[in-house]
Parts: sequence; C-alpha cells; structure tokens
Amino acid sequence: MDATFETLNLFINFGLPLLLLVVTYFIGSFIESRHFQNIRAREELLHGFPVVSFDTMPADWNASSATMVTGSIVISLDYFKRVIAGLRGLVGGRIKTYEPLLERARREALLRMSESAREQGYDAVFNVRLETSRLANAGRDGKGTAGVEMLAFGTAVKLASRFA
Amino acid sequence: MRYVPKRAREDVNVSDVHPLAEAGTLIVGLTAIFLLIALALVFLIEIALYFVPAEREAKLFEDWLPEDLVTIAPSDDRLYEAQSLVDRLVSHWADPPYNFRVEVGASDDANAMALPGGLIVVTQGLLDDVSSENELAFVLGHELGHFKNRDHLRALGRGLVLTLFFAAVTGGDVSGIGINVADVTLRSFSRKQESNADEFGLAVVYAEYGHVNEASRLFQKWDDEDQSGFIAGGYLSTHPRAGDRVAQLRELAARQGWPVEGDVTPLRW
Repeated sequence: MDATFETLNLFINFGLPLLLLVVTYFIGSFIESRHFQNIRAREELLHGFPVVSFDTMPADWNASSATMVTGSIVISLDYFKRVIAGLRGLVGGRIKTYEPLLERARREALLRMSESAREQGYDAVFNVRLETSRLANAGRDGKGTAGVEMLAFGTAVKLASRFA
Repeated sequence: MRYVPKRAREDVNVSDVHPLAEAGTLIVGLTAIFLLIALALVFLIEIALYFVPAEREAKLFEDWLPEDLVTIAPSDDRLYEAQSLVDRLVSHWADPPYNFRVEVGASDDANAMALPGGLIVVTQGLLDDVSSENELAFVLGHELGHFKNRDHLRALGRGLVLTLFFAAVTGGDVSGIGINVADVTLRSFSRKQESNADEFGLAVVYAEYGHVNEASRLFQKWDDEDQSGFIAGGYLSTHPRAGDRVAQLRELAARQGWPVEGDVTPLRW
C-alpha cells in the first residue's frame, strides 16, 4: 500500500514530466522539420522576387502603383522547448531551443508577406520591417507565454519596367 | 545598383547544437547542482541543531500542537494508556530532556510521528492495527529513538529549508523538480535515521519487558500486506521496507542476546 503510493508519487513527480518531455520533443521536432522543409520549398518558388529593407524606393525602380503588404504568424512553444529554456534560465546563456522557433517565425512571416504581394500582382517589396509581440496566457496570472506573433510588413510596388 | 537574389542562410540565427545535447547538459548539470545543494543543507541543519539544544527546544515547544491535527476525545482510554505506556518506557531513558506528551490523531491511516517539544502523535488507525502492548511499545520506543537522535527536527528543518530555498532561487516550473531531486537524495539519510530509531525502540522494549517478543509484529503484518514488487521502492522510500526492518530487528536481538520469546502483555483497552 505504502509502496504503491510511493510508486505513484514518483511517477507523477518524475515519470510524467519526463514522459511529456520525450513525447513533446519528438512531436515538436517532427513539426519543426516539416515546417522548415515547407519554408525552404516556398522560398525556392519566390527566389528572385525582390524583398529589401531600404526605407526609400531604389532610384532605378519605376513604380506604377504601391500598397502595404503584411504577413503574420503566431507560433507557440512546445513543452520540451519551454522546460529546457526554463532550466537555461537558471544559469543563463543562449536559449538554444528558442532559436529555431523564432527563425521559423521570421521566415514564415516574410514568406506570407511576399506571397501576398506576388498574388496581388506586385513585383517587389521595399521598406520591409519585422515586429514581434508576446501573447500572454490567461493562466498563471497572465505571466505565461502562449506564443509569439511575428509580423512582417513592407511596401509592395508594381514596376512599369522591371529592373531595366 | 543591381538586385542579386540570394538564398536564405540557415547557419546565422540558429545555434549548431542538437536540442537533445542542450537538454542533456542542462538536466545532468543542474541535477548535480541540486544534489550538492541538498547535501549542503543537511550540514546546515546539523549546525543549526548544535545551536538549539534539546532543553531549549523542549521549552520553546512546551504546549505546541500542530494546527491541523484532529485528535480523538481526551477522555478516550486509548489516549490514557498510550500516555502511561510512554511514561513507563521513558523511565529507561536516563535524564530525558523532554516532557513527553502523547496525542492520538483521528486518522485511519496507521502512522506515528515525533514532533518538536516531545510531542508524539499516534493515529487511531495504528492503535487499531496493534494487537498487544508490546507491539505498541515498540512503535512508541521507535519515536522516542527519533527524539534521542533529534531526527524530528532534521526532517522538519530539511523540508522547510528546501522549500524556501527552491522557491526563492528558482521560482516557477523548475522549483518543483529541484525540490523533488533534493528530497529523494535526502531519503537515504532518512532511512538510516529510521534504522537507528528502530534500534533504540527495541532496546527500550527489552528494558521494559525483558524480552522482544512481538515487537516487530506490526512490520511483519505490513510486509505480508505489501505485495508491490517495485524494485526502486527501497531506494526512494523514506522508510526502510517493512520486511527489511523485521530482519534487521531479528538480527539486532540475536546480536544483543535479547530473548525473542516471552509473555505478551495484552492491551488494556
């Protein structure tokens, strides 16, 4: 009876978090690698479509019309990333598990923006900016993080003559 | 200026470290640190115990009762008999610094506790489980052993210090894991304490009755009921396994030449 309780206690304290860690690691890295594949494929399709961060239009671009285009993604941490980052928070240093997550977010946001510009028939985007904001979680006094939003925006232009 | 399209580079913003390597380093490293902290705390408590002698502790907790303790009626025979049994057993302890008080908790789980200031709490469930005075005398003697070695303060102090430390330093999700790691480490100390208390308890029983018959019967009974075959249980538990304790007690009695046969005193309620 005592030993059964002890075993259960042990499972809840160590086994469950560990199991969750392993499961979320595999699910998380599967989703991540699939997302990266998808990003690379779409980037390849957009290869050659000019997306630049100049805040004024380059002088040799001859624009006939312009509009603002945006691309945004909301992306969430998985349990594995969060726990490892929490441990990292005790001793400091680069939070390596967050780096690929934010990399995905940046590239996906830029892709969505560029794809939207191309779908609308624009030829290039300039003055591209990236913004990010944290989405607070209602649980735990609003202190938890539900995820981050990455927003890319810029000015898309139709060019009368393409890079003459 | 000519626009030259380039492909995104993937090696700039993402560290070239496998997430599992990162996880492994952190988990192993921090576990080692938590273990060291737990050991440091054990020494800290030992120092604190040195500065609070038993006499001062007894004075400090003279009339103290845990707030959440639910006791049976004060007029109950069992309370009176348990108290007078403790008084008789204590007479074999030369010059005890405590004035021992017994309370009977109204819980049905069999348990006994040594609390600060010489307070012994036995549960109703335990009193229902014992079938002779000798059995009960051993349980009470075991608790007296905790007072003799001052384990009751160690257990209390460790729990308190660990919780405070991890809550203060880490906070959030990780403190729970830290406490658990440190707690499990301390259990090996705890098991050693239980064995020492068992030895003291058996010595007291022998001094009172002239034999140790039935002293370990309660553990024997629990061991027979314990059907779980979980291997790690022994390492992770706060108490030694009931079966191991029975064997240890038998060995001790043989070593000391204490007779294991003798007349058993019935319960008086």
